[in-house]
Amino acid sequence: NKGNSFLFQRKPLACLPLAPALRARLVAAGFQTAQELLDTGPCGLSKEIGISKEEALEALQVVRQECHSDATQTAGAPGTSRKCTALELLEQEQAQGFIITFCSALDNILGGGVQLTKITEICGEPGVGKTQLCMQLAVDVQIPECFGGLAGEAVFIDTEGSFMVDRVVDVATACVQHCQLIAEAHQEEDHLKALETFSLESILSHIYYFRCRDYIELLAQVYLLPDFLSEHSKVRLVVIDGIAFPFRHDFEDLSLRTRLLNGLAQQLIIVANDHKAAVILTNQMTTRIGQSQSTLVPALGESWGHAATVRLIFHWDNNQRLATLYKSPSQKESTIPYHITVSISFKMEIQRWEQSVSCEELFRDL
Amino acid sequence: MVYQGLASKFSSLMLFAVVDFVSSDLEDVAQKCSLSYKALVAVRRVLLAQFSAFPANGADLYEELKSSTAILSTGIPSLDKLLDSGLYTGEVTELMGAPGSGKTQVCLSIAASMSLGLKQHVLFLDSTGGFTASRLYQMLQAQAEDEEEQLEALQRVQVTRVFDVYEMLRALQELRDSLSQQVLSSTGPLKVVLIDSVSAVIYPLLGGKQSEGLALMMQLARELKMLAREFSLAVVVTNQVTRDSSAGPLKPALGRSWSFVPSTRVLLQSKEATWEKTNTQRVASLAKSPRQPTGIQVVLDVGSGGAQELSPVTPTQGL
Repeated sequence: NKGNSFLFQRKPLACLPLAPALRARLVAAGFQTAQELLDTGPCGLSKEIGISKEEALEALQVVRQECHSDATQTAGAPGTSRKCTALELLEQEQAQGFIITFCSALDNILGGGVQLTKITEICGEPGVGKTQLCMQLAVDVQIPECFGGLAGEAVFIDTEGSFMVDRVVDVATACVQHCQLIAEAHQEEDHLKALETFSLESILSHIYYFRCRDYIELLAQVYLLPDFLSEHSKVRLVVIDGIAFPFRHDFEDLSLRTRLLNGLAQQLIIVANDHKAAVILTNQMTTRIGQSQSTLVPALGESWGHAATVRLIFHWDNNQRLATLYKSPSQKESTIPYHITVSISFKMEIQRWEQSVSCEELFRDL
Repeated sequence: MVYQGLASKFSSLMLFAVVDFVSSDLEDVAQKCSLSYKALVAVRRVLLAQFSAFPANGADLYEELKSSTAILSTGIPSLDKLLDSGLYTGEVTELMGAPGSGKTQVCLSIAASMSLGLKQHVLFLDSTGGFTASRLYQMLQAQAEDEEEQLEALQRVQVTRVFDVYEMLRALQELRDSLSQQVLSSTGPLKVVLIDSVSAVIYPLLGGKQSEGLALMMQLARELKMLAREFSLAVVVTNQVTRDSSAGPLKPALGRSWSFVPSTRVLLQSKEATWEKTNTQRVASLAKSPRQPTGIQVVLDVGSGGAQELSPVTPTQGL
């Protein structure tokens, strides 16, 4: 394949994923491009740089794999190809749906809801409602398509232990009731059919819950996600509740933390992009002490701010909860008030929790 | 000719590469290899002639630069003023800023105006997942009325998603090969490459105890500079900013080694100090430039029509 080998001939060694010690020896021996390695063959290679034949064979395998993946990229392998024109991307984006939050003001500032293929970060102090929103979204992603949802499944990775199943039951029940009311009002066949499979049990069974106790478990879980998602291809939402918690304690080497966090971010972007899923991360707030004042800023440092494509900051203003859209590729920055609710539907009010702050949820207009 | 026999003798003396031979002591080599000194001098002369660089005349260089460099307008007059009338081909320009400061918006705006106004093909390498085609479309709609023109402009923007450094290097090499083979088909006359962002793929490699990250970063730097010079492209990269301590000043990420790569650096900041008051205005200040004094500031608006200037358009000397 002449075209591919031309591409590959001048590929310098530094671009191949080889072990550093091996690469140092190859460079000292005068090898510069991948083609030279392949031409030499394993026996010649092991003689020239003084490694065993097995090691030489392994190295050549890595090089050949790179050549092969180069070839499939240029040939435009379907599915894994990441090259396209902006027009094609626009068509893809317009066909994609959003995950609605059931708070119309929040959906508005987000541009319709939580976007797929992007990482959304929700920052806020404890108690402001981040986990609440995550649980809501884990239910909303499962709404059948005829009701305007994505009919997907959800992965919930919990690091702080704040996931409450009873609360999810409340949210799921309210959601099912809401859909039932729509079905009653419209009386269409596909609505009724969808309702047969959309029940409390099915919602709960399609939320895949993982509990990670420290950063190593979290990293392992995220790096294993692609395999999990290939088996469960209907997953459209990945929630990591508490990305800051495992990284804030007992980290002596801060540069290692930055490196791990950035690697994590890139892995999550790959997951979001390849599996057409929305990734939601919740983050804590920390105090930055300035010269004359101190401000609350999202935790994990300056470089972490670049990981998420969309950043929402939940904060208090007196007794009112506010949500600010701080960073977004397509929406303007804005702030809206919101409330956390217990479940309400049009005709019933279910009060189950004694809370000092009164609650009302803004339902989406039918 | 005589090389085969020499090669094995040289390798026994640990002279593997041309540079080892040329820099070694020839008398010493002559003794150890039992070859004549004259023969070795002749070999060295041949090697030097074959592998050395030619000195170039300064005036010739200037003429060559004048004929091959183009200045591309970014479509934002105040940014053009900051950059001394636009993006210079053959150079790497860097946009740096904190999260939410507008780097992706400015890149999208440049892509929109280049593909619509200048009818150039644009390559956008996205490593953060922040490229939103609907936002680009919005910007195009604000600049042109005709839908045909908008769709054509969208087709001229090629987007490649690269999420780690090896994929980015591969994408840049593919670009180099397609340009050197002059395969016109889909790329067309390419003059601008936008990379958003370069720090996202380098950061996972730096820090900790491994030193490989620096080598890969320098490899990437080399690729970008060679692309810019050899094919007269204007390369725009975006970078993060970091702080030394929690109250220290902002400085560009990726350290001192990377700071030599871009010839021009622009810092983007929000006008307000905190995130509590939100607006669409950004301040762009010149942090490094080969042609202009640093410290010049202009105000941009990254609102619905894409990054635009705000009136009045008088660049002010900054802090």
